[in-house]
Amino acid sequence: MAVMKDTARKRKIPRNVLNEWKWAYIMIAPTIIGLFILNIIPILQTVYLSFFKSGAFGKGNIFIGLKNYRDMFSDVQTWYAVRNTLVYTGLVVPITMAIALLAAVVLNRRVRGKGIYRTIYFVPMVAAPAAVTMVWRWLYNYQFGFLNHILHNLGIGKVKWTEGPDIALVSIAVIGIWSTIGYCMVILLAGLQEIPGDFYEASEIDGASRVNQFLHITLPLVSPTLFFVAVTSIISSMQVFDVIFMMIDVANPAYNRTVSLVYLFYNNSFKYSNKGYGSAIVVLLLVIIMMITMLQMKAQKKWVSYM
Amino acid sequence: MKSKKIRTGIILHIVLAAGAIIMLFPFLWMVLTSLKSVTESTSMNPYVYFPKVLQWDNYKAVWMNNNFIRLYFNTFTMMLLRVLCAVFFSAMAAYAFARLHFPGKNFLFGIVLFQMMVPVQIFVIPQYLMVDFLNMRNTIFALVFPGLVSAFGTFLLRQFFLGLPKELEESARLDGCNIWKTFWRIMLPLTKSGLVALAIFTALFAFKDLMWPLIVNNQENSATLSSALSKIQSAYSVKYPELMASSVLAIWPMMLLYIIFQRQFIEGIATSGGKL
Amino acid sequence: MKKKALSIFLSILLVMSFMAGCSKNLNSKETVNPDPTKDAKASETPVATETVKGVTISYAVWDSNQAKLIQQLADAFETETGIHVDIQVNGWSDYWTALEAAATGGSLPDTFWMHSNNIYYYASNGQLLDLTDEINSSSDIKLENYPAGLNQIYNLEGRQYAIPKDYDTIGLWYNKTMFDAAGVAYPNGDWTWEDLKAAAEKLTKKDGSQYGILAPLHNQEGYYNFVYQNGGTIVTPDKKSGYDDPKTIDAIKYYFDFVRNGLSPVITGDAERAEAFQNGLTAMAFFGSWNLSGFAANEYIAKNCDVAVLPKSNNGGQASIFNGLGNCIAATTEHPKEAWKWLEYLSNEAGQKKQAELGIAISAYNGTADAWTKAYPGFQVQAYLDMVTYAQIRPYTNQTSLWEDKAYELLTNVYANGGDVEAACKEVAAMMNNAIEHEQK
Repeated sequence: MAVMKDTARKRKIPRNVLNEWKWAYIMIAPTIIGLFILNIIPILQTVYLSFFKSGAFGKGNIFIGLKNYRDMFSDVQTWYAVRNTLVYTGLVVPITMAIALLAAVVLNRRVRGKGIYRTIYFVPMVAAPAAVTMVWRWLYNYQFGFLNHILHNLGIGKVKWTEGPDIALVSIAVIGIWSTIGYCMVILLAGLQEIPGDFYEASEIDGASRVNQFLHITLPLVSPTLFFVAVTSIISSMQVFDVIFMMIDVANPAYNRTVSLVYLFYNNSFKYSNKGYGSAIVVLLLVIIMMITMLQMKAQKKWVSYM
Repeated sequence: MKSKKIRTGIILHIVLAAGAIIMLFPFLWMVLTSLKSVTESTSMNPYVYFPKVLQWDNYKAVWMNNNFIRLYFNTFTMMLLRVLCAVFFSAMAAYAFARLHFPGKNFLFGIVLFQMMVPVQIFVIPQYLMVDFLNMRNTIFALVFPGLVSAFGTFLLRQFFLGLPKELEESARLDGCNIWKTFWRIMLPLTKSGLVALAIFTALFAFKDLMWPLIVNNQENSATLSSALSKIQSAYSVKYPELMASSVLAIWPMMLLYIIFQRQFIEGIATSGGKL
Repeated sequence: MKKKALSIFLSILLVMSFMAGCSKNLNSKETVNPDPTKDAKASETPVATETVKGVTISYAVWDSNQAKLIQQLADAFETETGIHVDIQVNGWSDYWTALEAAATGGSLPDTFWMHSNNIYYYASNGQLLDLTDEINSSSDIKLENYPAGLNQIYNLEGRQYAIPKDYDTIGLWYNKTMFDAAGVAYPNGDWTWEDLKAAAEKLTKKDGSQYGILAPLHNQEGYYNFVYQNGGTIVTPDKKSGYDDPKTIDAIKYYFDFVRNGLSPVITGDAERAEAFQNGLTAMAFFGSWNLSGFAANEYIAKNCDVAVLPKSNNGGQASIFNGLGNCIAATTEHPKEAWKWLEYLSNEAGQKKQAELGIAISAYNGTADAWTKAYPGFQVQAYLDMVTYAQIRPYTNQTSLWEDKAYELLTNVYANGGDVEAACKEVAAMMNNAIEHEQK
């Protein structure tokens, strides 16, 4: 990239370089133009709106400078939400990725019935949210729930799975892990498919053990996919909303220990018609995610191997 | 040595089967609930696992109350178009980002990542206004609209292109292939698994997209399966058996599609050796 | 270089126009407009004095159960007038998001449901058609035929923006089987708070398998009722918080005591409330009249349970929280005459009676509600109607949901874990006064 710029400055750009530029721009044009219209403009509008006291129905916005940000930072709930969002991500992403990687590696081998397992592990992704919520509500129900029923029979006291301030976020994270394993597994499986079989055959001749194969062939070669899964899982975990929204009401005693940034944004923007303040929360979330993603981009050079 | 192999095999299957049961649970639950009576569905004390009498009428009721043929048609047309758009445009852009050099590359790729970092809810009203402006509400186009391009797909396929050996491409170029041909004939076929994964997830996200179809298409004949489901759920008193029956009716084609598609992964290491 | 740039630009345009072309074709093929004549007709007679046949107007609602029944009314309306009504259903939270998007784009449905939480936002920002003149010149619609409190919700500075559609009150549900087993007499209109507490004590089993009462952390179907029975307020007439009123605090204390004394389980979730009562966890519970169609379908409740009026406070104060939906017309509608005709049809005596007979909800038109009771012969639902005479409109300000949610957040800890109720209430009052001061005016 830097080399390119230098050559361009020094002399007339060679025809083949120009040709490459032309093709590159043609190939990215639909995506970039589409993203610009569909997403980037709305994002910029959101950033803009965060400096306003929003009027109703997009009219009558009043410029208030940084007031939304000052209000946001002085509200302790914002910090709860930041903490909860980070804790949730910290719980969900590593566990999900570890389980999904193991499952993908195992199901990429000649295991009997792997087609069936692959299908079943994908089921939570397809199942209707209403069914999923209903099942988890029943599992976690304090009075009649399945988990407390088992604990009771074991002679242990009941646990407030979704109302206990200390445990509610963990309960929510379990749902998060359970419902995203399928996603990570399918993408990792696709990544494993791209690893040429020769590599394994060669190492088998050398007498490498399975663990060695995993560490020295599978892991490095699947690392671009693993990197993708890590970046996208963190981004989507940072945006957690649906599960918390469906399981935790505002009146729940664990609300402050589970509320996420997107939940706060949703309430302010859509329920309280305070779009300006909601936009400020989105900007905060965006900044946090950008920092994390940038760190990952920097760190990938250390562990991701591109061929 | 052999007995050790068998033992690990058995342990492996026990673990896999245990995982499978946990994963399968909500689906079983859905099917069981769809066959219960309203009372059985919310009864927890005592808990009703299996319905006393199988209530097939739940299926009959939701089938009669909703135009499922129309819903399947709308949903699958939307999914198909979104998949085609996402796969085609993303593959092009991803190849450029992974393999070509051009000014502004990092900045433009930053824009792609940027899109994924904001909660989707902020796009709903602006995109609604665009569709409204184009006078395209209550059309299939409106359903496809937010999925015309895919940042997710661009990022995913870029990783796949990055994972391919450079030598391949160089030899193709030396053979006189131009950039487009190298991409289309040589590189694209090699990322088949990535394309399949992208197709699966684009279809799935389109299928699960709830808020958008609800808001942009408010007429019954342009609704999707997910928006129809949420309408059934909107009642003051939800009839869970009917809700679950319609969920079952909604997801079986999705499951079938996945089973067909994931066959693409099945070959595994045994055959992928011939790729290079 | 410039030429290259131009060619890139042109090829981009080509791709885009190809995309657009595709979608256009698709559009004309795939969409079925239910009424192709709609647009043409509308432009011919935008300000018709008479309604036009063949016009389609839309009607947005948020309850799919009711939508099915309203469809019957819409069919009858079409036979009578030739106006087609397209009913659009969205769940509660999506309903408001969709409405907000539509209002921002100037394409609201012609007619739709309105709620006390949102009326101010829509009416004060010019989204709703002012119905005052239509009502004054209508022979069918007279506001005095609807409960005054309901009219008032939809009245802003003397202008009427919606006509009451239905109303709801809160009743005391009880489990007859449990009462019989404990030898306690069923609740009746003479019950006071003391009777309620005594009954709850008798019906509570020590082993935790059965609670006497369900006192959830819920405002409308919970402590609001007790606050007003006790002479307290949530919002004072001069739009201040009533949470620091000693009578309000006493009522909330009394209500939270059910949990503290172990007479009620701790329940904060919306879905868990009905679950607890339906599964025989509690002998008594408070539920709004809109739950009836669900309760009637539940065999356990149909067999074991019934409903009575709410008890009086110890000094005889009576109250039940009362709220109602309104039907309104969008200011941007292209068919104001037809929309009004549909509203008249829904709101006049005959239309309201039909809705009551279908069991949709307690219809707002005075005297038509009796038909509703006949739809639920299994329960003494007359109790819901009996409370209307002393019912209290659900407290609201311009932005109700904001401080309602915050109040929950501030109360939940003392509700669930004990602590100083008075301090928590005062905190709520301070928060609420601040919120009301800053809300849109």
